Amino acid sequence: MRVITVPTSLDDRTLDTLAQGIGEWPPTEGILLDARATHWASPYGLTAVLTLGQAMAEAKLPTPRLTIPDSEEVRSYWGRAGFFLAAAECFELVGKLPRKNSDAPSDVLLPVTPVRAAEDVHHVVGRIQERAQRILSSELNLEPKATLGFAMALSEACQNIVEHAGTGGWVAVQTYNWRKRLGRKVVVIAVSDSGVGFRRSLEPTEAKKVGDRWGDGAALELALLHNVSRFRDPGRGQGLAGIRRYLGRWQGKISVRSGTARLAVVPPWDDDVPLAEHLPFFPGSQVQITIPAQEAVTR
Amino acid sequence: MMQRIDLAPLLRETVATPYSDMVTRSTGAALRDRIEQTIAGASHRTTQLDFTAVGLLDFSCADEVVAKLLLRVAAEDEHYVVLSGITDSHLDAIDHVLERHGLSVAALTEGEAAPRVLGVVTPDAVTAFQTIQRLGAGDANRLADALTWTVERAADALQSLALRRLIQAAGGTYRPLTLS
Repeated sequence: MRVITVPTSLDDRTLDTLAQGIGEWPPTEGILLDARATHWASPYGLTAVLTLGQAMAEAKLPTPRLTIPDSEEVRSYWGRAGFFLAAAECFELVGKLPRKNSDAPSDVLLPVTPVRAAEDVHHVVGRIQERAQRILSSELNLEPKATLGFAMALSEACQNIVEHAGTGGWVAVQTYNWRKRLGRKVVVIAVSDSGVGFRRSLEPTEAKKVGDRWGDGAALELALLHNVSRFRDPGRGQGLAGIRRYLGRWQGKISVRSGTARLAVVPPWDDDVPLAEHLPFFPGSQVQITIPAQEAVTR
Repeated sequence: MMQRIDLAPLLRETVATPYSDMVTRSTGAALRDRIEQTIAGASHRTTQLDFTAVGLLDFSCADEVVAKLLLRVAAEDEHYVVLSGITDSHLDAIDHVLERHGLSVAALTEGEAAPRVLGVVTPDAVTAFQTIQRLGAGDANRLADALTWTVERAADALQSLALRRLIQAAGGTYRPLTLS
């Protein structure tokens, strides 16, 4: 059995380390994810771990094991964020699980939630509006118009799973304080699925046009920057375009990882690279949308 | 005569959800099917889609319900679509999909007495549209007088509005759509 140490802080940047540990896909031996020393995970990290478990189940590989964090505080937080409930579906959980029936932490606007069909998107959007509006306006200084756009962005990001992945996925939304990276609070939407990925989705219609450069990075560029969809319908491809338009208005960031590439639309406050290619493979697609608290001068 | 279709109850009938949000492409496609059936079952020349009590509208659903419906209706003779009950929750998505398809539509937004044009439209056409709402029926000469434009400029703006089904045209005269 291959033992993979989960980074102590698991987010969009450190997921590559986890992917490196998996090695070739599909793995040729059982996997044990060791999260005992993990002390923090972003919604992106949590939903990506679930995607790994789901991808292994769908590939009919042995059920992976996950040793849960040693820290009682971290265990409790992950539990209240809905992670263990979801993880129990695709992992053999090892370690002491926290008590059930606790409320979600106040910074969790949407606990880890499955997205498999259009009805799930209705549920996610309805639920987030009930909970998010007050927090987004009071803690992130977002105008009412920005909170509406936030729900639209969430809806479109979730629909990508239903429309394109060919399987289910997960979504989670959380606010947190990015003191080091930004010096402000942010709200983050993380959506991850174990589906076919952008390259395979666009390959039948786009690969020949692109030629030698065709790959995960080129597919992400077409979808995210040029609104290309696998459907011929000219109305398609508007979801990601609409998200980008919304993020442009509120200095937000979107980052999409699929297969071996990650593409980001990077706002001035961030130092991420726009396109990273030749990354270690990770199954499916992972989307992260980040909206920073608005400063008084920009309101 | 105008046919009014309340989208909020239609949404509840079409999708089994306790929420009032018009989200997802499949929801939009199902709603548009119902709207097209309703239009086909009546003989009205104008259909008003009323968004009152509709919560959020996302891009995909707006593409199906608004943009694709306008494209279908454009293929028919003398049928007009107007929107009402539009709030900030709907405007962004509607504007976005109309721009994408190069379309426009007349809409009554919440809190405003006069209709406005959403989507793709020239500044002259906006001015002409607003003036016609105020003046009522007339011809290019009347509009030109009111705006101190040349008759040719007024006629161009009116023709553009008529082609986009934002006003009704008949034998050289134009009149605003009935919106309430």
